Amino acid sequence: MTKRGAARRDISLTVNGEVKTVCAYPMERLLDVLREQLGLTGTKEGCGEGECGACSVFMDGALVDSCLVPVLQAQGSSVVTIEGLAVDARARAVQDAFLEYGGAQCGICTPGMILAAVHLLNAKPAPTMDDIREGLAGNLCRCTGYLQILEAVAAAAAKGGAAR
Amino acid sequence: MRSDPAEFNLVAPSDLRSALALMTTEGERWMPIAGGTDLMVQYAAGALRARRLMSIARLPELRQINVAADEIQIGAGSTYTDLRRQEAIARDFPMLAQAAGWVGGIANQNRGTIGGNIVNASPAGDSLPALLAYGAELILVSLNGERRVPYTMFHTGYRKIQLASNELIRAVCLPRRFIAYLQHARKVGTRNAQAVSKIALAALARVEGGIVRDVRIALGSVAPVPMRLAETERILTGNLLDDSVVALAAKTAASEVKPIDDIRSTARYRAAVVGNLVAEFLERLRAEPAATEAANQTLARWNALSADAAEGEILACCGSRVWARAMVSRRPLAEESAALSASEEICAGLGDADWLEAFCAHPRIGGKKAEEVASLQSAAWSAQEQSSAAAAGAELKAALAEGNREYERRFGRIFIVCATGKTSAEILAILQKRLQNDDRSELREAAEQQRQITELRLRKWLRA
Repeated sequence: MTKRGAARRDISLTVNGEVKTVCAYPMERLLDVLREQLGLTGTKEGCGEGECGACSVFMDGALVDSCLVPVLQAQGSSVVTIEGLAVDARARAVQDAFLEYGGAQCGICTPGMILAAVHLLNAKPAPTMDDIREGLAGNLCRCTGYLQILEAVAAAAAKGGAAR
Repeated sequence: MRSDPAEFNLVAPSDLRSALALMTTEGERWMPIAGGTDLMVQYAAGALRARRLMSIARLPELRQINVAADEIQIGAGSTYTDLRRQEAIARDFPMLAQAAGWVGGIANQNRGTIGGNIVNASPAGDSLPALLAYGAELILVSLNGERRVPYTMFHTGYRKIQLASNELIRAVCLPRRFIAYLQHARKVGTRNAQAVSKIALAALARVEGGIVRDVRIALGSVAPVPMRLAETERILTGNLLDDSVVALAAKTAASEVKPIDDIRSTARYRAAVVGNLVAEFLERLRAEPAATEAANQTLARWNALSADAAEGEILACCGSRVWARAMVSRRPLAEESAALSASEEICAGLGDADWLEAFCAHPRIGGKKAEEVASLQSAAWSAQEQSSAAAAGAELKAALAEGNREYERRFGRIFIVCATGKTSAEILAILQKRLQNDDRSELREAAEQQRQITELRLRKWLRA
């Protein structure tokens, strides 16, 4: 073992349904590996300290901030990014509602918002407004003032039955 | 400045024993990392001193929650989401479940662990006041075996903990003896979500005949470690909660804490809010016996009525005659909990026709009149329950009316939803979703809503 630090090593994980093997330092952030090695730039970096949710991804079905995940902890996990959600009917309904209600402006927070919304609707298909506020509390937006986003998620939930 | 990942090592032992063995390696120190919600923030800022890290996020031994008769053992690697999902915690230790919901956003709750919150040892740690109030004990494990220490002896100073370099917290133990206590947790921060607390309170007490028999009050963010209010508790114990005792307790609480001025608040503000939070808790304690007393009186009066009169009165809570008669046959019901559990049992046995009869006693959401002539009381409660829906704008009202008509065409009866606390937009969303149900599951859903309405109305009736 080296006195300090570690060598890059092969780490395998499933990303958007495909097994990928990346060569990375074990403490590299999952966020950087997704963006720089796998070219999945839909996942954004905002604060880099788990406050803003721009880097949200699913790890084994759970919403996580990928800036706080050392890539070694994702070894063997199934990671889904916004690109991987493009085929999901619920995510499409949320995306359509964001367009309809003006839930996206500059777009930096949008992938994370959509992931957080889908994560919420997966657990609670008919959420209350409080559920929606809580589900999105970890995602910051500096453009919309949030109301359009909350309305979009409520509308997507209302249409949820039809979308599936 | 961001850290350079090349300067750090991270390993992930597959079980607890290998992790402990690694921690015992001569001349090497390994910093455990679980959800990383604190350490990765330090790492991002270039402030993480440890260079060798050991992931304990996936050790199965740390993730179990065991519920025994006298205590619950929570694996230190349980996430806040795990805590919120565990029914036994919600029931016996609601302040811990509530505190778990205070932590960051959902993504942080999915990763952060209770063990991490304890070893991070911040004075503002969200779960810590609850652990202190419940008298938590920790099970520490090393290759040499386990030891059990009270949380109070573990967290001894500002970010100071009594954990040896070869030890991990394996589990947090909470005694299941507070179920009959009134429990009250409150966090004051800049905003409700995602904010570090300025002050957090976890308090619980058992009151008999207005006298405080046992009380435990814990606070976070007002001293270097979360603290119990020993002096305030002493003043309250054995005393009647009258105005002067409440005022004295609030004043003592404010002077007993040792807050500081910092980036989030001032010492003066914190001390004043501590007094207010303690007073708020004591006011709740005072209100509780009054509510209990009111319920007992309602029941005593109702128990003495003729069967017909008793049935007529309780029909306002649920319009099913079978339900009302069964409630009457259970008399005498001594207290609120007996009435609520009797209703639960009866509801579980109701048939489709009984539910349909109960539905008819409600007016359409957005409408005024029930199909059957309901009692005045039932109509008044309906108006209260649907008050937020009634406040909707014209467009929403029209959408609701159209949704109701569609529902009635589809299912041949009015749409039943427990409307208390729900806005028109929420009700509309639920309505549109339920329109997709098949007949069978929709009847079950409507019955569940009726059950919730009945429970709320029973409470209102009893406490009136």
